Amino acid sequence: MSSAAALQKKLEADSNAYQALQKDYTKAVESRQRLDSQLQENKLVQDEFKLLKDDANIYKLIGPVLTKQDKAEAVTNVDKRIDFINAEIERVEKQLKDLQEKTEKKRIELVETQTALQQHAAQQQKK
Amino acid sequence: MAQPKIELQDLDLTQLMEVKKQLEDELSHLTSSFGQLKQAQNRFVDCIESCKAVNASNNDKTILVPLTSSLYVPGKLANVDKVIVDIGTGYYVEKTTEDAIKFYNRKVDFVKENLEKIQAAVTQKQGNLRSLVDVMQYKLQLQQQEQKTAAKA
Repeated sequence: MSSAAALQKKLEADSNAYQALQKDYTKAVESRQRLDSQLQENKLVQDEFKLLKDDANIYKLIGPVLTKQDKAEAVTNVDKRIDFINAEIERVEKQLKDLQEKTEKKRIELVETQTALQQHAAQQQKK
Repeated sequence: MAQPKIELQDLDLTQLMEVKKQLEDELSHLTSSFGQLKQAQNRFVDCIESCKAVNASNNDKTILVPLTSSLYVPGKLANVDKVIVDIGTGYYVEKTTEDAIKFYNRKVDFVKENLEKIQAAVTQKQGNLRSLVDVMQYKLQLQQQEQKTAAKA
Protein backbone atom coordinates (compact mmCIF):
# COMPACT_ATOMS: atom_id res chain seq x y z
CA MET A 1 0.00 0.00 0.00
CA SER A 2 2.74 2.38 0.97
CA SER A 3 4.47 1.75 -2.34
CA ALA A 4 1.31 2.82 -4.18
CA ALA A 5 1.32 6.09 -2.30
CA ALA A 6 5.03 6.51 -3.00
CA LEU A 7 4.50 5.82 -6.68
CA GLN A 8 1.65 8.27 -6.78
CA LYS A 9 3.87 10.88 -5.23
CA LYS A 10 6.66 10.19 -7.69
CA LEU A 11 4.20 10.41 -10.56
CA GLU A 12 3.09 13.81 -9.39
CA ALA A 13 6.63 15.08 -8.97
CA ASP A 14 7.61 13.72 -12.37
CA SER A 15 4.71 15.28 -14.15
CA ASN A 16 5.37 18.62 -12.49
CA ALA A 17 9.00 18.49 -13.53
CA TYR A 18 7.95 17.49 -17.03
CA GLN A 19 5.59 20.43 -17.32
CA ALA A 20 8.24 22.82 -16.05
CA LEU A 21 10.65 21.51 -18.68
CA GLN A 22 8.07 21.94 -21.38
CA LYS A 23 7.48 25.52 -20.29
CA ASP A 24 11.20 26.23 -20.41
CA TYR A 25 11.32 24.71 -23.85
CA THR A 26 8.56 26.94 -25.22
CA LYS A 27 10.30 29.95 -23.72
CA ALA A 28 13.56 28.99 -25.39
CA VAL A 29 11.77 28.52 -28.71
CA GLU A 30 10.26 31.97 -28.36
CA SER A 31 13.58 33.64 -27.68
CA ARG A 32 15.08 31.72 -30.59
CA GLN A 33 12.41 33.13 -32.88
CA ARG A 34 12.86 36.63 -31.52
CA LEU A 35 16.61 36.43 -32.11
CA ASP A 36 16.02 35.27 -35.64
CA SER A 37 13.79 38.20 -36.49
CA GLN A 38 16.33 40.58 -34.95
CA LEU A 39 19.06 39.01 -37.02
CA GLN A 40 16.98 39.41 -40.17
CA GLU A 41 16.30 43.06 -39.43
CA ASN A 42 19.96 43.81 -38.73
CA LYS A 43 20.99 42.05 -41.90
CA LEU A 44 18.62 44.22 -43.89
CA VAL A 45 20.19 47.30 -42.32
CA GLN A 46 23.65 45.97 -43.10
CA ASP A 47 22.71 45.44 -46.73
CA GLU A 48 21.30 48.94 -46.85
CA PHE A 49 24.54 50.40 -45.48
CA LYS A 50 26.46 48.68 -48.24
CA LEU A 51 24.43 50.55 -50.81
CA LEU A 52 25.09 53.93 -49.21
CA LYS A 53 27.81 56.36 -50.13
CA ASP A 54 30.48 56.90 -47.52
CA ASP A 55 29.42 60.49 -46.90
CA ALA A 56 25.75 59.63 -46.49
CA ASN A 57 24.01 61.15 -43.51
CA ILE A 58 23.08 58.47 -41.06
CA TYR A 59 21.01 59.16 -37.98
CA LYS A 60 20.39 56.95 -35.02
CA LEU A 61 17.21 57.06 -33.01
CA ILE A 62 18.03 57.56 -29.35
CA GLY A 63 14.82 57.89 -27.39
CA PRO A 64 12.77 60.46 -29.32
CA VAL A 65 15.80 62.19 -30.86
CA LEU A 66 17.66 61.50 -34.07
CA THR A 67 21.40 61.95 -33.68
CA LYS A 68 23.85 62.01 -36.51
CA GLN A 69 26.33 59.19 -36.69
CA ASP A 70 29.36 58.35 -38.80
CA LYS A 71 28.83 55.73 -41.42
CA ALA A 72 31.86 53.77 -40.21
CA GLU A 73 30.60 53.83 -36.66
CA ALA A 74 27.11 52.75 -37.66
CA VAL A 75 28.49 49.93 -39.81
CA THR A 76 30.71 48.54 -37.06
CA ASN A 77 27.82 48.89 -34.66
CA VAL A 78 25.53 46.79 -36.80
CA ASP A 79 28.28 44.26 -37.52
CA LYS A 80 28.88 43.89 -33.82
CA ARG A 81 25.21 43.48 -33.18
CA ILE A 82 24.97 40.72 -35.78
CA ASP A 83 27.92 38.92 -34.20
CA PHE A 84 26.27 39.20 -30.81
CA ILE A 85 22.96 37.90 -32.08
CA ASN A 86 24.68 34.99 -33.80
CA ALA A 87 26.41 34.08 -30.54
CA GLU A 88 23.09 34.32 -28.72
CA ILE A 89 21.43 32.07 -31.29
CA GLU A 90 24.15 29.49 -30.78
CA ARG A 91 23.65 29.66 -27.04
CA VAL A 92 19.87 29.27 -27.25
CA GLU A 93 20.30 26.50 -29.81
CA LYS A 94 22.43 24.59 -27.32
CA GLN A 95 19.91 25.28 -24.60
CA LEU A 96 17.14 23.94 -26.82
CA LYS A 97 19.02 20.73 -27.48
CA ASP A 98 19.73 20.29 -23.82
CA LEU A 99 16.11 20.87 -22.87
CA GLN A 100 14.93 18.48 -25.54
CA GLU A 101 17.09 15.72 -24.13
CA LYS A 102 15.97 16.43 -20.60
CA THR A 103 12.31 16.47 -21.57
CA GLU A 104 12.65 13.18 -23.39
CA LYS A 105 14.33 11.59 -20.38
CA LYS A 106 11.62 12.89 -18.07
CA ARG A 107 8.95 11.61 -20.40
CA ILE A 108 10.37 8.11 -20.34
CA GLU A 109 10.62 8.27 -16.57
CA LEU A 110 7.04 9.43 -16.37
CA VAL A 111 5.79 6.56 -18.50
CA GLU A 112 7.75 4.10 -16.40
CA THR A 113 6.21 5.37 -13.19
CA GLN A 114 2.80 5.24 -14.78
CA THR A 115 3.18 1.62 -15.83
CA ALA A 116 4.57 0.71 -12.43
CA LEU A 117 1.55 2.26 -10.80
CA GLN A 118 -0.84 0.44 -13.12
CA GLN A 119 0.86 -2.89 -12.48
CA HIS A 120 0.68 -2.25 -8.81
CA ALA A 121 -3.03 -1.52 -9.02
CA ALA A 122 -3.61 -4.68 -11.08
CA GLN A 123 -1.80 -6.79 -8.52
CA GLN A 124 -3.85 -5.27 -5.73
CA GLN A 125 -7.04 -6.17 -7.58
CA LYS A 126 -5.95 -9.78 -8.06
CA LYS A 127 -5.54 -10.16 -4.35
CA MET B 1 9.52 21.49 -39.60
CA ALA B 2 9.07 19.24 -42.60
CA GLN B 3 8.95 15.75 -41.23
CA PRO B 4 10.58 12.83 -43.00
CA LYS B 5 8.13 10.75 -44.91
CA ILE B 6 5.98 8.63 -42.66
CA GLU B 7 3.15 6.81 -44.34
CA LEU B 8 -0.12 8.28 -43.15
CA GLN B 9 -1.69 4.84 -43.37
CA ASP B 10 0.55 3.57 -40.60
CA LEU B 11 -0.70 6.03 -38.00
CA ASP B 12 -3.74 5.42 -35.84
CA LEU B 13 -6.59 7.86 -35.45
CA THR B 14 -5.33 9.68 -32.36
CA GLN B 15 -1.94 10.21 -33.96
CA LEU B 16 -3.65 11.46 -37.09
CA MET B 17 -5.64 13.90 -35.01
CA GLU B 18 -2.43 15.23 -33.51
CA VAL B 19 -0.82 15.66 -36.89
CA LYS B 20 -3.95 17.37 -38.12
CA LYS B 21 -3.87 19.81 -35.23
CA GLN B 22 -0.21 20.52 -35.87
CA LEU B 23 -0.87 21.15 -39.54
CA GLU B 24 -3.75 23.44 -38.73
CA ASP B 25 -1.58 25.41 -36.32
CA GLU B 26 1.11 25.80 -38.93
CA LEU B 27 -1.45 26.88 -41.48
CA SER B 28 -2.99 29.54 -39.26
CA HIS B 29 0.47 30.82 -38.40
CA LEU B 30 1.38 31.05 -42.07
CA THR B 31 -1.85 32.79 -42.99
CA SER B 32 -1.41 35.39 -40.27
CA SER B 33 2.18 35.99 -41.42
CA PHE B 34 0.85 36.39 -44.92
CA GLY B 35 -1.58 39.04 -43.75
CA GLN B 36 1.10 40.91 -41.86
CA LEU B 37 3.42 40.89 -44.85
CA LYS B 38 0.61 42.14 -47.04
CA GLN B 39 0.10 45.04 -44.64
CA ALA B 40 3.81 45.81 -44.63
CA GLN B 41 3.79 45.83 -48.42
CA ASN B 42 0.90 48.27 -48.45
CA ARG B 43 2.74 50.54 -46.02
CA PHE B 44 5.75 50.64 -48.32
CA VAL B 45 3.54 51.41 -51.30
CA ASP B 46 2.02 54.28 -49.30
CA CYS B 47 5.53 55.56 -48.56
CA ILE B 48 6.33 55.57 -52.27
CA GLU B 49 3.22 57.63 -52.91
CA SER B 50 4.21 60.08 -50.19
CA CYS B 51 7.72 60.40 -51.61
CA LYS B 52 6.29 61.21 -55.00
CA ALA B 53 4.30 64.04 -53.42
CA VAL B 54 7.53 65.61 -52.17
CA ASN B 55 8.62 67.08 -55.51
CA ALA B 56 9.69 70.37 -56.96
CA SER B 57 6.19 71.42 -57.97
CA ASN B 58 5.20 71.37 -54.32
CA ASN B 59 8.19 73.37 -53.14
CA ASP B 60 7.41 76.07 -50.60
CA LYS B 61 3.77 75.02 -50.39
CA THR B 62 1.91 75.03 -47.10
CA ILE B 63 1.15 71.64 -45.64
CA LEU B 64 -0.56 70.44 -42.48
CA VAL B 65 1.74 68.47 -40.25
CA PRO B 66 0.05 65.93 -37.99
CA LEU B 67 1.19 66.21 -34.38
CA THR B 68 -1.33 63.63 -33.27
CA SER B 69 -3.99 61.90 -35.35
CA SER B 70 -6.40 64.74 -34.54
CA LEU B 71 -4.12 67.77 -34.21
CA TYR B 72 -2.45 69.45 -37.17
CA VAL B 73 -0.24 72.50 -37.45
CA PRO B 74 0.49 74.37 -40.66
CA GLY B 75 3.99 74.04 -42.05
CA LYS B 76 5.92 74.80 -45.17
CA LEU B 77 7.72 72.34 -47.40
CA ALA B 78 11.22 73.80 -47.23
CA ASN B 79 13.27 70.98 -48.72
CA VAL B 80 11.88 68.82 -51.47
CA ASP B 81 15.13 67.06 -52.40
CA LYS B 82 15.88 65.08 -49.30
CA VAL B 83 13.89 62.83 -47.04
CA ILE B 84 14.93 60.76 -44.04
CA VAL B 85 14.16 57.08 -44.27
CA ASP B 86 13.82 54.56 -41.46
CA ILE B 87 15.89 51.57 -42.49
CA GLY B 88 15.26 49.57 -39.34
CA THR B 89 16.73 48.92 -35.87
CA GLY B 90 16.70 52.62 -35.04
CA TYR B 91 18.80 53.79 -37.99
CA TYR B 92 17.62 56.58 -40.27
CA VAL B 93 19.32 57.63 -43.48
CA GLU B 94 19.03 60.84 -45.43
CA LYS B 95 18.19 60.09 -49.03
CA THR B 96 17.09 61.98 -52.10
CA THR B 97 13.45 61.35 -52.90
CA GLU B 98 14.48 59.31 -55.92
CA ASP B 99 16.70 57.08 -53.82
CA ALA B 100 13.98 56.80 -51.22
CA ILE B 101 11.52 55.61 -53.84
CA LYS B 102 14.10 53.11 -55.07
CA PHE B 103 14.61 51.98 -51.49
CA TYR B 104 10.89 51.42 -50.96
CA ASN B 105 10.60 49.64 -54.28
CA ARG B 106 13.31 47.26 -53.15
CA LYS B 107 11.41 46.69 -49.92
CA VAL B 108 8.21 45.98 -51.81
CA ASP B 109 9.99 43.47 -54.01
CA PHE B 110 11.58 41.84 -50.98
CA VAL B 111 8.21 41.47 -49.30
CA LYS B 112 6.67 40.21 -52.51
CA GLU B 113 9.28 37.47 -52.74
CA ASN B 114 8.49 36.36 -49.22
CA LEU B 115 4.78 36.52 -49.89
CA GLU B 116 5.24 34.14 -52.78
CA LYS B 117 7.24 31.77 -50.59
CA ILE B 118 4.54 31.78 -47.95
CA GLN B 119 1.86 31.30 -50.58
CA ALA B 120 3.68 28.21 -51.84
CA ALA B 121 4.04 26.87 -48.30
CA VAL B 122 0.34 27.46 -47.61
CA THR B 123 -0.70 25.60 -50.75
CA GLN B 124 1.57 22.71 -49.84
CA LYS B 125 0.27 22.52 -46.28
CA GLN B 126 -3.29 22.67 -47.48
CA GLY B 127 -2.57 19.72 -49.76
CA ASN B 128 -1.05 17.83 -46.86
CA LEU B 129 -4.06 18.57 -44.71
CA ARG B 130 -6.43 17.38 -47.40
CA SER B 131 -4.70 14.06 -47.87
CA LEU B 132 -4.53 13.68 -44.10
CA VAL B 133 -8.26 14.21 -43.75
CA ASP B 134 -8.84 11.68 -46.55
CA VAL B 135 -6.86 9.06 -44.68
CA MET B 136 -8.70 9.88 -41.47
CA GLN B 137 -12.07 9.39 -43.14
CA TYR B 138 -10.94 6.13 -44.62
CA LYS B 139 -9.75 4.93 -41.23
CA LEU B 140 -12.99 5.98 -39.58
CA GLN B 141 -15.01 4.04 -42.14
CA LEU B 142 -12.84 1.02 -41.59
CA GLN B 143 -13.36 1.27 -37.87
CA GLN B 144 -17.11 1.52 -38.23
CA GLN B 145 -17.22 -1.50 -40.47
CA GLU B 146 -15.18 -3.45 -37.99
CA GLN B 147 -17.56 -2.49 -35.23
CA LYS B 148 -20.51 -3.58 -37.34
CA THR B 149 -19.06 -7.00 -38.10
CA ALA B 150 -18.10 -7.36 -34.45
CA ALA B 151 -21.65 -6.56 -33.41
CA LYS B 152 -23.03 -9.16 -35.85
CA ALA B 153 -20.70 -11.84 -34.64
